[in-house]
Amino acid sequence: MLIMAGPVGETVHDGGPHPERPARITAVLQGIGDLRLGTDLVTVDPLPASRADLARVHSERYLDELEAFAQRGGGSLDPDTYVTPSSWDAACDAAGAGLAAVHALRERGEGVGFAVARPPGHHAERGRGMGFCLVNNVAVTAASLLAEGERVLVVDWDVHHGNGTQEIFWDEPDLLYVSTHQWPLYPGTGRPQEVGGEGAIGSTVNVPVPPGATGDVLRLALDEVAAPAVGAFRPDWVLVSCGFDAHRADPLAELALSSADFADLARAVAEFAPGPGRTVLFLEGGYDMTAVRRSTAATVAALLGDLASPEQPTFGGPGADAVRAVAGLRERAMAEVHDRTDGGSLDAPVTGPAGAPSERRPW
Amino acid sequence: MTRRADAAAVPTAIAVGYDGSPDAAAALRWAAALATRTGAELRVVHAVGLLEHAGMAGGPARDAALAVAAEAGADEARVTWRRVDGEPASVLVREAEDGADLLVVGSRGFWAHPGVLGSTSLELAERAPVPVVIVPRREQP
Ligand SMILES: [Zn+2]
Repeated sequence: MLIMAGPVGETVHDGGPHPERPARITAVLQGIGDLRLGTDLVTVDPLPASRADLARVHSERYLDELEAFAQRGGGSLDPDTYVTPSSWDAACDAAGAGLAAVHALRERGEGVGFAVARPPGHHAERGRGMGFCLVNNVAVTAASLLAEGERVLVVDWDVHHGNGTQEIFWDEPDLLYVSTHQWPLYPGTGRPQEVGGEGAIGSTVNVPVPPGATGDVLRLALDEVAAPAVGAFRPDWVLVSCGFDAHRADPLAELALSSADFADLARAVAEFAPGPGRTVLFLEGGYDMTAVRRSTAATVAALLGDLASPEQPTFGGPGADAVRAVAGLRERAMAEVHDRTDGGSLDAPVTGPAGAPSERRPW
Repeated sequence: MTRRADAAAVPTAIAVGYDGSPDAAAALRWAAALATRTGAELRVVHAVGLLEHAGMAGGPARDAALAVAAEAGADEARVTWRRVDGEPASVLVREAEDGADLLVVGSRGFWAHPGVLGSTSLELAERAPVPVVIVPRREQP
């Protein structure tokens, strides 16, 4: 059963000729429609996220400024990121979609949630929006779960690193953030050495892959790097920052996945969940409408135990060596952390304060 | 090499944020003049966003940026042009972590957006591990 929260953003938060546009939601809805789920599709209306929900992950100052900026008519936050008069409400609704999905999953005790909502979120940091993102949707839901004592895994397979999610939960040991992303690429964070802050070392897992990487490379990242970390972490919930911009047709990046590969990634992620009714997808990027439609269908079908992709899985692209190197680096870094009981120095991981008087973070 | 913490140090590597705007050009001229006087390395740094990476938005040209530096008297051999994926303030902070001991930005443009989020240059000043100079547009050393 698919529990769809939304849609949010199919008619609002429209920046004109911009790749992050309302049609992306239409493409997702078409992809879901292609599956003809019938009574296996349940739609829930998102309530807007409350101020308290948002303030768990964003500063009060940023929220005030963003709301006021939209009310004044909006404009640009940076060369990439627009705000329109409808953007504040859209952002609150988009953040609420994940909360609604979790609520519905808890009531039913089964199914897969999908927050079909934009603007996307994973670049939005505690104190600023950037990279098309205003409010960090996946973070709002994750923080809500954390507040209830749940352990949360966030898997971010968007082609870009989720710098916002990483930053917000840098020091949070009860949230495991795993990201695969093209490197080098915007936003320039997400090196393997970024493993979480003091007190949460190992709770951030970054696997950068080179341009041209194929589906098998990302699957390897989930199997060789993510799976051991997830096994040790034992999440109660699995939230997926589900961008489709790693698709080979996407105009914003240079990875080489097909829609079938997203199904493969989804199957791997489904294994991370402790049981049914504990997985929620959050739409992040994805800017080729056909790719978004097909990848949506393939991903949702895989999570429901079906096959649905007109494309073949891809393999043989560069990056497998890089992934294995990350796996090795991570093993060594974690071993060093375990060994470090008497204040010895830790060279490899970037963990925040690194002997400097001022707090130093990798972004 | 004297680095960080010593506010009186003569800079050895200056990173200037450059987005092609008149404010950025003023910052670049100021940085180039300082680099010339001190013999410092000058890094002209352009942050490449999502749209520019995809060719959906334009960015400043390398030659134009280097011409501005040359006009201000910078030694060509000591000037490098860097296009770096990322958000402007973060990209400059990373330059500081990569050895730049002075950061220079213009006072307006996307380096210091006057709208929501306050000023990126102020944010940079909060986050940078080295001194930051904010150059007003009229500054023409
Ligand atoms: Zn993306």
